[in-house]
Parts: sequence; structure tokens; C-alpha cells
Amino acid sequence: MERSSVLTMRRAILFLLLLGIAAHGRASPDTVVLVVPADSKVIDLDSITVRKLFLGLPVLINGSPLHPLRNRSDARFDSIFLQQIVAMSQSAYDRQMLIGVNRQRSMRPVEITTSARVLDELYSDPNAVTFMWLRDVEHNPKMRVIRILWSD
Amino acid sequence: MERLINSLRARLMSVVLVINAALVPLLYLGVSAIVEEGYAEQFVNPVRSYSRLVADELESADEADFERRAGALLDSVVLTGQVVFAQIDDGQRKLRSSLSTVPSAAARHDDFSFGSQADQVYYISHPVKRASRPVVLRLGFDESLTLERIAAAKRRVLAALLAFTSASIAVAIWLSAVIARPMVRLQEAAKRVAGGDFHAQLQMRSSIREVQELNHHLERMRQELVGTNDRLESEMRERGVSEQKRLDLERRLLHRERIATIGTLAGGVAHEFNNIMTPILLYSQVALADTPADSALAKDLTRIVVAAHRARNLVTRILTFSREMDLPPATVFSLRPTVEEALTLLRAIVPANIEIAFHPGGEGLPVLGDPSLIHQVVINLCTNGYQAMRRSGGRLAVSLCVVENPAESQIDPGRYTMLEVSDTGHGVDAAVIAHIFEPFFTTRDVGDGTGLGLSVVHGIVTSMGGLITVESVVGRGTAFRVYLPAAAPPAGALEEGAGATN
Repeated sequence: MERSSVLTMRRAILFLLLLGIAAHGRASPDTVVLVVPADSKVIDLDSITVRKLFLGLPVLINGSPLHPLRNRSDARFDSIFLQQIVAMSQSAYDRQMLIGVNRQRSMRPVEITTSARVLDELYSDPNAVTFMWLRDVEHNPKMRVIRILWSD
Repeated sequence: MERLINSLRARLMSVVLVINAALVPLLYLGVSAIVEEGYAEQFVNPVRSYSRLVADELESADEADFERRAGALLDSVVLTGQVVFAQIDDGQRKLRSSLSTVPSAAARHDDFSFGSQADQVYYISHPVKRASRPVVLRLGFDESLTLERIAAAKRRVLAALLAFTSASIAVAIWLSAVIARPMVRLQEAAKRVAGGDFHAQLQMRSSIREVQELNHHLERMRQELVGTNDRLESEMRERGVSEQKRLDLERRLLHRERIATIGTLAGGVAHEFNNIMTPILLYSQVALADTPADSALAKDLTRIVVAAHRARNLVTRILTFSREMDLPPATVFSLRPTVEEALTLLRAIVPANIEIAFHPGGEGLPVLGDPSLIHQVVINLCTNGYQAMRRSGGRLAVSLCVVENPAESQIDPGRYTMLEVSDTGHGVDAAVIAHIFEPFFTTRDVGDGTGLGLSVVHGIVTSMGGLITVESVVGRGTAFRVYLPAAAPPAGALEEGAGATN
């Protein structure tokens, strides 16, 4: 009797441990989300608009142009940006940007290489739009997640 | 082996092989990387655009008809041929195209670069926003075709590089032959020159300017070498001749000094002997005059007087050789009459088996001296000649000629009258010639000659400023040549030789 209760306890501990691991794994998957400042007027952006925005084409919300910020604070962002946001290769993106700058006078998105600067830009510019890891923004009241861009 | 390794051809080939060995792998790797990158670009860009397009299409699908529309879209996507896996996951269930050719790969992460996984499938996931519940579109694109293209392109690159390597080696072989061939010819020609064949021309035909210039410079060096060699040989020959002349002069000088020493010695002895003979001759003549002619004492005294005369005559000859005799005043005269007169006398005493030939060779040049001494010279030389032919017979030749700058080194250049007396007798060897003008030197038997004849001739000729030489070949004969310097005759002073000797 005593032996079976010990076994039950052990199984309960093991279950809780596995549950904790699973809960932790589920709580923090590698997810990249599109974010705007909390006070931004942007409610939603479909994928085509996001592509236009990060290809340097003008996107207006209530008459105000949005300011795309290309977050390069993590090396994985580059691959995710090319594959999930602009949906093209690096050379095609570069070529597209050159064409846009030369022919359509479009602006190349501002590129930022540190997380702190990304946050500063977001806090200071209500029209800024960028992408970040979900784990970095989900508890930040100053920012709002617009849509999920990629999830592993 | 070392000779082969260090050859020009081997060096050139080594350089080409090393360059190929270093460059070809680098070129292959570099070009392969470019090829891979290009093909990856060609694959990734449309795949990303296409998957995004499908996700957008799915996102815009009507919510009520979403499931049917999504199923049709997934099948349509797979039917394009490039997509091998298509699936929509809403978190609760998975809607997968039944046309997918690869099984589900739920645990597989997304690809962000071409060929990163070994399964030859490029997976892309796109979250699709829907009003009810977000879903994830997952597409798998076939990489195998692009991988095959890359492999084929790499094979072509490798083939091209191998062709390049083969061509460069062939060119290197040809080029090394082109460069080395003239060098080898040049080397062979240089070897011939080094072996002493200085006239082997260093000529090679090559279109390479450096080789042409090298050939030109080496040929110039060879020509200069040939010129220097010729000059050296010429100088060596001249030096040899000069050395021979010097030795000859030295030998003659020594001979002359020895003759002069002997002459001085003999002259001194002759003077003393003459002083002794004078009272003997005088007193024996006085005694003979006071003695009856038919007495035995007169006969004895007569023998004394005759012997004394012979002794005085001998003394006179010794003094003539030593040039201490009181010579008569020198006159300018022509040799021919004197020689003809002497030969006339000789013909009377020379045996019949000896032929006497005279070649006057014109009048000759006048000489300065005493004709009687020249008469004695001719008599002595001819006597010496016919005595050498006394038993075998032969020919005694006497000739006169004018010689300009004789080749004899011991007399000064100028005009000379040469008197040559030659015979066809037994001749004498070099050892005899070395002493032939020494007084009392004779090859005849004791009592057959005094050994003073040729030494007297030597003394006379030398006193006249001339030179006497002898040339003899054993068994063929001997030739004496007397060179007497030409004298410029004062006006009307030239006498006829015959008159002078008389």
C-alpha cells in the first residue's frame, strides 16, 4: 500500500514535470510577429500591404504614411524577412529595392541592428511598423501585435 | 635524373602543372559556388513568391467555403508539378492534398536556404489570417530537379576545366619545345666552340626575340673569341720565331765570342812565335850565306830556313785569322775578276773527277777590302770543297749574286754581294758545323791539314764587315755563303779586281 502510494507520487511528479516542459515549450515557440506602437492607428495589415510596406512602397493609414523598420537585431530575421514578408531571394529583393528607389522614388526601409533601437523607434514613432520575436513583445503594453508572420 | 629535372622543358612543365594544380581546384570550387548560388536563386525566388501567392489566395478565401476552396487550392498547387507537399493546419486538424507525393513531415523545420536538408524538399510555412481561426499553410517544393541541374552544371564545369588543363599542358609542351629547341641547338654549337671548333657558327632560327638577341650576342662573343684566338696564335707564332731568332743570335754570339777569344789567344801566341822565328830565320839565312853551297851544313841550314819560312807562313795565317795582321789599305773593287782568277788557279790543281762551275750572276756590287784576301777566301773555300769530293768526285759550284736585306739575322739590312761556294761532297753534321770556323779544328787525318783554312776565311770576312754562313747535309754536300757589304765607290776609285790581285 505504502509502496503504491510512493509510485503514484512519483508518477504524479513526472507528469507534472512533463506538463511543465510541454507548457514551457508551448508558451515560447519561435514566432515572429508584426508589431506597431500601442498608440498606432493601424488595426490590421494584410500580407500584400506588408509586402508593399517593406518593399518601400507608400502605405497610408488615415492619410499618414507608415514607416517600415527592418529589424536586423537577430541574424534569423533576415531569412524570415526575405521568405515570409517580401517573399523573394536576397538578390531579387536588392534588385527590387534598386528599381524602386530609381524609378518610383520609393524609400528603402530603415534598417536597425539592435533591439533597443528598434524599441526606441517604435516608442517614438506612432507610424512605425516592424517585426519582432513574439516573446519580446507579448507582455509589452507599449506595443501591439498586428499579425503573426512566421512560427516554427 | 637531376639533369632531367633541371632542364628547361621540365621547369616549364612543372610551372604549368603547379599553376594548374593550384588554380583548377580553386576555379572548380569558385565556379561551382557561383553555379550553385545561381541555381539556388532561380529556385528560391519563385518558390517564395509562389508560396506567398498561395497563402494570400487562401487568406482571401471566403470563410463559408474555406474548406472546399482550400482543398481545391492545395490540389491545384500540387498539380503544378513543382510542389510535392501541400497542407493546411488549423491547430486541430490538418487538411492535406491527396496528391502530395511525399509523406507528412510535421517535425521538419522550415527551409530558409536551398539544399539545406537532405530530403530534397524545400518547406515553407505561411501563417494565414482568418476570422475564425488562424491556419498555417505548409508547402514542400521539389529540389531534386534543381539539384540535378546543379550537378550537371558542375560536371560541365569540371569537363571544361579538365579540357583547359589538357590544353594548357599541350600548349606548355609545345611552348617548351619551341623555347628549348633553339636553346639546345645553341648549346650544341657552344659545345663545339668549347671543344675547339671556333668556326662553328652559333646560328639558330627562333621567332622569340629574347632568344634571337641571345643568339646574336653569343655569335658576337664567338667572333670576338675567334679574333682573339687568332691574334693570340699569331702572337705566339711571332714570339716563337722571335725566340728562335734570339736563341740563334745568342748561339752565334757565343760562337763569335769563342772564335774571337781563340783568335786573341792564337794571335798572342803567333806574335811571340814570330818574334822567336825572326832570329832563327835571319841567323840561319846569314849562316847559310856564309856556308859553302855544297856542304852538308848548307843543306841543314837550308832545311832550317825552309822550316822557318813554313813556320812564318803559319804564323801569318794565324794572324790573319785573329785579324791582327797588318792589312794593306782597303780598296773598292769588284769580286768577279778576283773570283775568276782564283778559279783559274784552282782548275790546275783540282782532280778531273770534280767539275768546277762558276755562275757570276752579273758584275755584282763593289766591295771594300783587299782583293788578295778575297782571293785567299775563294782558294780556301774551294780547296775545302774539292777535298770533300776528292774520292767520290762531284761538282764544285761558285756563284756571285746581289742580295737585298739578307734573311740572316746577324747582319744589318742592306745590299750585299753574296759569294756562294758549294760542293756535293760528304757533308758534315751539326757538331762539326759548331766548330768549323775554330782554328786548328779539322776532320782530316793528322798531318793532312792544319785546321786554319776556314778560320782564316772567317777572319777575313769578318774584318771586311761581312758574314760567312755554312749549311751542310751529310751525304749531300756543303754550301758556304759569304756576304760582303756593298761599298759606295768613290769617283774613279773602282779598280779592276784582276789588277789589284796582281
